Amino acid sequence: MITPSPTDTPPVLDMTGITKSFPGVKALTDVDLSVSAGEVHAIVGENGAGKSTLMKILAGVHGPDRGTIALDGEQVHFSSPLEAKAHGIGMVYQEINLVPDLSVAENIGLGDMPNSAGLVKRKALSQRAQEVLDQLGTRIDPQQLVGRLSVSQQQLVEIAKIYARQPRIMVLDEPTSSLSQHEAKALFSVVERMRAKGIAIIYISHRLREVLDISDRVTVLRDGRMIDCRPTAGLTPKEMITLMVGRDLDDVFPKREVEIGQPVLEVRELTRVGLFEDISLTVRAGEIVGLAGLVGAGRTEVARAIFGLDRFDSGSVLIDGAEVTVRSPKAAVRAGIALVPEDRKRDGVALSLTVKDNIALPVLDQVAAFGWVLRSQERRLAQKKAEDLYVSPPVIERTVATFSGGNQQKVVLAKWLATNPKVLILDEPTRGVDVGAKSDIHTIIGELAAEGVAVLMISSELPEVLAVSDRVYVLHEGRLTAELSRADANEESVMTAATGEVAAP
Amino acid sequence: MTSTSTVPPRATDEKRANKLLGGVALPVGILGLLIVGSLLSEQFLTTRNLTNVVINMSIVGIIVVGMTFVFIVRGLADLSVPAMVGIGALLALGLQPALGSVLAALVGVLAASLAGLINGLLIGYARLNPVITTLATGTIVLGVAQAAVGGVIVYGNDPELQAFLTGRLIGVPVIVLIFLAVALGGHLLLSRTTFGRWVYATGSNPEAARASAIPLQFTKGAAFWMTATLSGFSGVLLGLTLQTARPGVGAGYEFDAITAVVVGGVSLLGGFGSMPRALGGLLLVTLLSNIMVLNGIPTESQGLVMGSLIAAAVALDVYLRRRGGAS
Repeated sequence: MITPSPTDTPPVLDMTGITKSFPGVKALTDVDLSVSAGEVHAIVGENGAGKSTLMKILAGVHGPDRGTIALDGEQVHFSSPLEAKAHGIGMVYQEINLVPDLSVAENIGLGDMPNSAGLVKRKALSQRAQEVLDQLGTRIDPQQLVGRLSVSQQQLVEIAKIYARQPRIMVLDEPTSSLSQHEAKALFSVVERMRAKGIAIIYISHRLREVLDISDRVTVLRDGRMIDCRPTAGLTPKEMITLMVGRDLDDVFPKREVEIGQPVLEVRELTRVGLFEDISLTVRAGEIVGLAGLVGAGRTEVARAIFGLDRFDSGSVLIDGAEVTVRSPKAAVRAGIALVPEDRKRDGVALSLTVKDNIALPVLDQVAAFGWVLRSQERRLAQKKAEDLYVSPPVIERTVATFSGGNQQKVVLAKWLATNPKVLILDEPTRGVDVGAKSDIHTIIGELAAEGVAVLMISSELPEVLAVSDRVYVLHEGRLTAELSRADANEESVMTAATGEVAAP
Repeated sequence: MTSTSTVPPRATDEKRANKLLGGVALPVGILGLLIVGSLLSEQFLTTRNLTNVVINMSIVGIIVVGMTFVFIVRGLADLSVPAMVGIGALLALGLQPALGSVLAALVGVLAASLAGLINGLLIGYARLNPVITTLATGTIVLGVAQAAVGGVIVYGNDPELQAFLTGRLIGVPVIVLIFLAVALGGHLLLSRTTFGRWVYATGSNPEAARASAIPLQFTKGAAFWMTATLSGFSGVLLGLTLQTARPGVGAGYEFDAITAVVVGGVSLLGGFGSMPRALGGLLLVTLLSNIMVLNGIPTESQGLVMGSLIAAAVALDVYLRRRGGAS
């Protein structure tokens, strides 16, 4: 079969003028995407550029506010993921959705078991699975339990499962993010075979080299807009990065001049096998240090390990030059470390409790005598912290669930500032937060640094990292790839290091 | 993302109505039962009958205090209650001849407490499923107790202590005073101490509690240890007031305690509820069953009513949670 040239065949998929808003955020504005049969079409962009939203619209998870979707020239409308599936849209997500206790064949056949009167025809089931696996050129035993397979093999089974339903369009969302380069090769040959069968493939990846190797065309998204759609041939990684980040920095984050003191937090060769390796970093008093990197680079994992929420295999954490054992959050708090976690609803707040109860949680012993809570002291502390952080309304007896996302985030900050930390680690402190709360949070971070707190901030929003930080470390696949001074850090230098385009320093 | 200032008025009205429903349903229900009870039966509003109601409440009430902690800490339920009640009663009476009443009673409580410690370690630290774990420990404890006494009835021989416990002090039955003391202690522990805050935080969001340096495992374990100890204590009191006990004496107490806590609106999903609520639930349930007994409603039908009440209370809890936006 000859691979048709993507430009002269009519597109299988034609999405035009797709616009989608969520409360407070315009996720997509007027985005076009057209994909032809037998084409591998890559979509690239920074975190939050709108890639996932676009794919969720294609998959029928969200409906677009405006815009149309056409399959083979015929306009369609998906009101549910099932409908999209019925129209031949196959989605392979980052997470693996397989049942580990069933065999490969059973997983591939799930949802469409060959049966007679409700009894599964085992032979037909494994035959069909074998066929699918053969077509994809993989050598996985259909009788093997999925739980026994490696992650990369599971990923292939996941693809096989979707492929078995004979989709017209196949979306691969970051399929290689958990694979080594060698394992990724096996995946690429599967993608090649699917392309040869005439399936239209949408390929989302942060690994730019990979995109260049495998795709026919690239669509670049930025801030929910389509920036460009070009043939891959002739593009360089540098050009792609420029397209992805090329925007003007507006001066929304005023940076305060603060005197920088002695090292407060020192992390030495911190390693957790499989997640991050050999992480050494230093944060000084009054300094705001950014920890940049793409989603999945290991930033959150490093932060959680420093705070004692997750274990690490080797390395050490020093506060004020002395090694501390941070095997639990309790020990970390005692050492003067605070962490505003990434997942607010999961690790940050107890939604059914009041603002007061949440703020007082890590400092109960400060407002209690022999285990007896002194309620007036507790109230005073909570009230003060809530007001310091502009929690609005500053009503501390209300349950946190009744506050907006931005104010919930301020409650989390208030809680941790109540501990008077020497080191404050912020993991995506402004994610999902409205503009007003965001600027409040930036002001607070600046004030804290001015008071001599050492701040380590993780953010997927590059402009935020660049504007707030005195120094930036960049992580790529669990390793530090760059340490940039404020002067050297810009969108290109950070993105270059974040995509692994430079060797480790 | 609902910003507080932009919630439409209808939604706030609804929230207010829900809050009312959650807070007022219980007192209104109790008041309603008092009225209905007095209309249906002349005996209902007599001092004698109401005293009986309160005495009946006391034994299970002590267990309710513990069970409330288990619920709020998101520990589901403690099913080892009947065994703990049984072992408390059996040891308190069985060891009387050898140790004397007071020491025997103490051993009864300690034995249940020790078993509760095992519950606490398995559930809190080894993170086993509470329902299965307490079912297992309960079965084991009851089995041991049965083997020890040979599966027969044990009689006590301390009519003086019996008379004291069933008698009155400053006009109030002693057993009720003991219950009130336990209830007050439990209430203060839950609402006024750091441990109480840990219980709420652990039940509301275990991950956030852990990230806030709360000793999660201790808190959860302690709730089960307390419940077993209080159940043992309750069993001792039961044995001493009756001066007779068989291994199965505690049967049904776990159900009664769970019913009371659930009807009181303490959430099975954890993080919400209070001691007054749970005890209000207990009062409501006790009144209801008293009214049914006074009016000669057969036992089988009583089960139907109680079961429906639990189902309704759980449904209301889930409904209010969903409306409240907290998952």
